[in-house]
Amino acid sequence: MKKTLVLIAGALGLLASTAIASAEDVTLNVWTIDRQSDPGYNYVMADEFTKLHPNIKFNIKHVEFADWANDIMRAVATGTQPDIAYVDNPNTPFLSSKGALLDLTPYLKDSTIVDTTKIFPGPLSTVTWDGKVYGLPRGSNTIALYYNADMFKAAGLDPDKPPQTWQELYDTAKKLTDPSKNVYGLAFSANGNEEGTFQFLPWAQSTGADFDHISDPGAVRALEMWQKIIDEKLASPDTLIRGQYDSMATFNAQNAAMGISGPWELPRMSKDAKFDFRVALLPTEKEGDKRASALGEGNNVIFAKTQHPKEAFMYLEYMYSQMPRVWNEFGFLPSYPVEAKDPKWSAQYEVFAESMKYARARGPSPDWAKISKAISTAIQAALTHQTDAQTALNTAQTTINGVLGK
Amino acid sequence: MSSIFRSAHDGRGFDIALALLALAYLLVFSAFPLVYNILMSFQEVDMFSLASLSRPFVGLANYMTLFANPDFWPIMGNTALFVVLCITFQLLFGFGLALFFQQDFFGASYLRGFFLAAWIIPALVAGAVWKWIFAGDAGVLNYLLSSVGLIDQKIFWLSNPAISLYSVIIANIWLGIPFNMILLSVGLAGIPKDMYEAAALDGAGPWKRFFFMTLPMMRSTLGAVISLGIIFTLQQFDLFASLTQGGPANASNVAQYWSWQLSFQTYDIASGSAVSVLMLGFVIVVAFIYVRSTRHEYSA
Repeated sequence: MKKTLVLIAGALGLLASTAIASAEDVTLNVWTIDRQSDPGYNYVMADEFTKLHPNIKFNIKHVEFADWANDIMRAVATGTQPDIAYVDNPNTPFLSSKGALLDLTPYLKDSTIVDTTKIFPGPLSTVTWDGKVYGLPRGSNTIALYYNADMFKAAGLDPDKPPQTWQELYDTAKKLTDPSKNVYGLAFSANGNEEGTFQFLPWAQSTGADFDHISDPGAVRALEMWQKIIDEKLASPDTLIRGQYDSMATFNAQNAAMGISGPWELPRMSKDAKFDFRVALLPTEKEGDKRASALGEGNNVIFAKTQHPKEAFMYLEYMYSQMPRVWNEFGFLPSYPVEAKDPKWSAQYEVFAESMKYARARGPSPDWAKISKAISTAIQAALTHQTDAQTALNTAQTTINGVLGK
Repeated sequence: MSSIFRSAHDGRGFDIALALLALAYLLVFSAFPLVYNILMSFQEVDMFSLASLSRPFVGLANYMTLFANPDFWPIMGNTALFVVLCITFQLLFGFGLALFFQQDFFGASYLRGFFLAAWIIPALVAGAVWKWIFAGDAGVLNYLLSSVGLIDQKIFWLSNPAISLYSVIIANIWLGIPFNMILLSVGLAGIPKDMYEAAALDGAGPWKRFFFMTLPMMRSTLGAVISLGIIFTLQQFDLFASLTQGGPANASNVAQYWSWQLSFQTYDIASGSAVSVLMLGFVIVVAFIYVRSTRHEYSA
């Protein structure tokens, strides 16, 4: 009997001590697509942050990019969402419009670290909904034109003068295409999913079209140019079923002389590509046209239901303050102007950093997934010649109007 | 008290407990998801209302939207073509191989074992392998065909809209042959040998023996293999995910993959449920045939 009492007393004591500890210690649940191995942005950041604030601990869960939307929305539906998560930028408005995210505006007012007016308009628009800010970009990326300078020289082209217009891109691709050597002029992705839309939008946007008026003549001309490139086999027909990463593998293997993709290719390219690879801004339709580029990467957000908004916001601030490192360590482009010291791949960095100025967010719309599907469906219908470009984009426009409630 | 206890471990109570366990399992893991799915197909659903049952009831609106979708009939057509071609060829090859290995020759049973390899490989891995085989620019198949001189231009097996569905069908036929072969082998082994000897003595040749003895004796096995085959074919998802993602332009899209795309790529869960309810209706018919053809066996 006595023994039992002692045990109970001990157990109570233990409970009490954990109660005291939990009053001080805070554990933040974080969901991210980063991996623990290799760069692992959130893992690095959380580690450093805990060193500065030993009472704040982290519980980080890795979520596959492909499963991300499912997992996070199921968590929101069942009330098991984390405190903090990484959200791909086109998905952010979906969550903020549904009230799932914490409105950061009051915290930002008192913040000495974050000045949202400095954030590039593209990334800022993805975290803004109804005039309020629901997240902070962790970094950005965008796409540009990679080219194989050695192949340019071999074909008698000037490697210092990459194509500036669609026509030049087409002519260059034609000159560099060599079926006997298994070389295509261009590699890009017209996949029937988000990637196809991501690659197509800048073409349309530089002519003045956009997702909400996608049947404009400029977008039609852009799609017709894509048709021409595929029809004449200046790019592989497999472009229709291949993502950007697989497409760029053919560029690295010198089976394509040019390729459209983002800075995330650089680590693999510098290992695999045994040639002089350079980057240029995406060509526009005519010289002097407004430039456009796609905006990739995503945001750090806090969920509305968190028990620790203050600590969570401190962590967001910390990550935000580390922007000058993101290029070298994680391969993102900074989302606000920073002085990047000794950037890796400095020539390519220059071009991508310049391209960031023209990077436009997809949407923003809470129904982006449906809009994106309409556009990629139009691309595929036109490239397989089920319909012509105008009809395909008219159909997309009708769907998008329905989604936007126009 | 003790009588209840005794009954729970060796009397009627035990039987009932076992039956209840199985029933509870079926209710939780089969009936509930089915009913939930059917319910969702009549409601307005988005990702955020996934966990609650009270959602706006929309009647047949989800089905109407689905039927009005220009992709609906082509995708249903693809699904029918996929099922019919896969089943036909899986069965022909499977039956042929089963008959072949039924012959008594050296190593027959070992060789038959090798054919199971395809069945062991997960469909996603098979998909990755077939993707290399079918690749347009540097694929194994194009290389073989062109080095034999059969083609002089590359065939884009996966990205040519006229071909892509057939490429997935070829891969799926390959994947399904071992299953057909094994089940049919078991059926063949069940036919008494002495019947064939008697028939041979009476002057029946191999063709006659096949058509008048083997086929009728295999009736219930064939019924079961075909209905299970249809269900497995309608389940085939991984190959589509790894080979074409239903593309290009839905040329190789089928109901099961489309349902997933609707629900989890565009978050149109209501339409996704409606597609799967339609598939469910079809599978119930097939399951009915399956039960009929196996009932024959139990009563015998």
